[in-house]
Amino acid sequence: MTTRPDSVSAAIPPARAGIGLRAPHYRELLDSRPDIGWLEVHSENYFGGGRPLWFLEQLRAHYPVSLHGVGIALGSATRLDAAHLCRLKSLIARIEPGLVSEHLSWGAVEGRHLNDLLPLPYTEEALEHVCAHIAQVQDFLGRHILIENISSYIRWKHDAIPEWEFVAEVAHRSGCGLLLDVNNIYVSAVNHDFDARTYLAAIPSQRVAEIHLAGFDEGEHCLIDTHGKRVSAPVWQLYREAIARFGANPTLIEWDTDIPALEVLLDEAATAQAILENDYALAA
Amino acid sequence: MPSLREAQEGFARGLFDVTDRVVLTHLVGARDMDAAAGLAVYRNNTFSNFRSALREAYPVILQLVGEEFFDQAANAFIRATPSAFGDINVYGAGFGDFLANCPGAGKLVYLPDVARLEWAVHLAFQSVDVEPLDVARLAEVPPERFAALRFALHPSASLIASPWPILAIWRANQPRASEDTIDLGAGGIRLLVIRRDHDVDLEPIAVAEFAALATLAAQASLGDALETAQAADADFDLGVFLQQHVAAGTLADFTIE
Repeated sequence: MTTRPDSVSAAIPPARAGIGLRAPHYRELLDSRPDIGWLEVHSENYFGGGRPLWFLEQLRAHYPVSLHGVGIALGSATRLDAAHLCRLKSLIARIEPGLVSEHLSWGAVEGRHLNDLLPLPYTEEALEHVCAHIAQVQDFLGRHILIENISSYIRWKHDAIPEWEFVAEVAHRSGCGLLLDVNNIYVSAVNHDFDARTYLAAIPSQRVAEIHLAGFDEGEHCLIDTHGKRVSAPVWQLYREAIARFGANPTLIEWDTDIPALEVLLDEAATAQAILENDYALAA
Repeated sequence: MPSLREAQEGFARGLFDVTDRVVLTHLVGARDMDAAAGLAVYRNNTFSNFRSALREAYPVILQLVGEEFFDQAANAFIRATPSAFGDINVYGAGFGDFLANCPGAGKLVYLPDVARLEWAVHLAFQSVDVEPLDVARLAEVPPERFAALRFALHPSASLIASPWPILAIWRANQPRASEDTIDLGAGGIRLLVIRRDHDVDLEPIAVAEFAALATLAAQASLGDALETAQAADADFDLGVFLQQHVAAGTLADFTIE
């Protein structure tokens, strides 16, 4: 029987670099236990039991864990899926994650899930709708969640406010925290031709509780958020600016396609860690 | 200006049907893309995500029919079969039967059964953990009441019967399998697919054992299970059956009225 040290129980990921836990790295992580701050998983991949949950529980004894969902589709104009929320709540009870997060997106219509992170029209109607859903989720789970900004390849003609104002307003109205994906901000800034600094400047500092970093692909016509590469140079630069503005925050290296050797993720995490420490040194 | 619901429903229709262009009047594409090109980026992502989910669930079928045929059939299946859950890991039920009706698949008569086997394995890996059956509580049941017992199978368990040698086909198409010729005339098989500890086992079982487990899985009583099993094999031994499947965890819980 494993006992969990008190210091790790329900621990909130520290303001250090962490990595996304992916199946090919389970055994190596557990055997080598590298010096990283925390781990994040996609909640849905642990809705079952068996090997994945066993490894997560073993690793949870050594690292703070964050549960990051991709399936609630908070902005969909449908009802939330109660069974999905129940599974998430059970997983939370079992893993005691320090953070629970979801995306600021929609992903289902009546009778059909699209299983993707789709951009909302930034309107008052969407704002009220998504805030009501966030409130419903927070009430049901009995805790605050973090909401992450997505990248996009279209926008809606009837957008009434810019995305950054929408994100800030969601945090303000619903009381949720923000998971700022710096790569997504960069990708969308290039795709929709806005200034990423304007975005950062609009985000309420005290709401930011986590940062995501990942790599994108150069598509034929726009940047594509594939999570299949190292973090790009302009995203590292934007990350430095984000840390300067929001302070040191738990920072995740995300990698979902063409998953590389663990050492590549650890190397990316080391770069983020160095930026976090430098900034801390400068601020102190 | 469309309502949130109208906007999303239009987007979803346009995603799966390129001829439905209603949503395009409401969209602006990124960079130099027009609305149609922007929506096409999402269409590609969506189909690619669902195809990946199907490849994950049906690796043997992929081996058997090849990538080109698989992807074509997958695209048609994705259009025709809405995802019912926010968790994409459980997308793909029924793909085998769909595939079998695609032109050109008819020669592979065993495809639907191999696909059912793969789906059972896929679900078994993802099923929840349960506490083992309380053997002490079972021991307290007096023998004369055994017939009234109702058992729940482990949530990962599936029973699959086929007139084709689907286990041999499945094994020959695993990543490290040696090249084997399958004799399609080798006859059928009955399988119990179940996760034991962390691995999913594919266990050939006898006709009477299969009948007993299938009866229990349908929530009938142990008395009924004994009857169906003995109809298949007069020598069926209920004591051995119970001992074996309680110890192995196939029977995960029981009730008695």
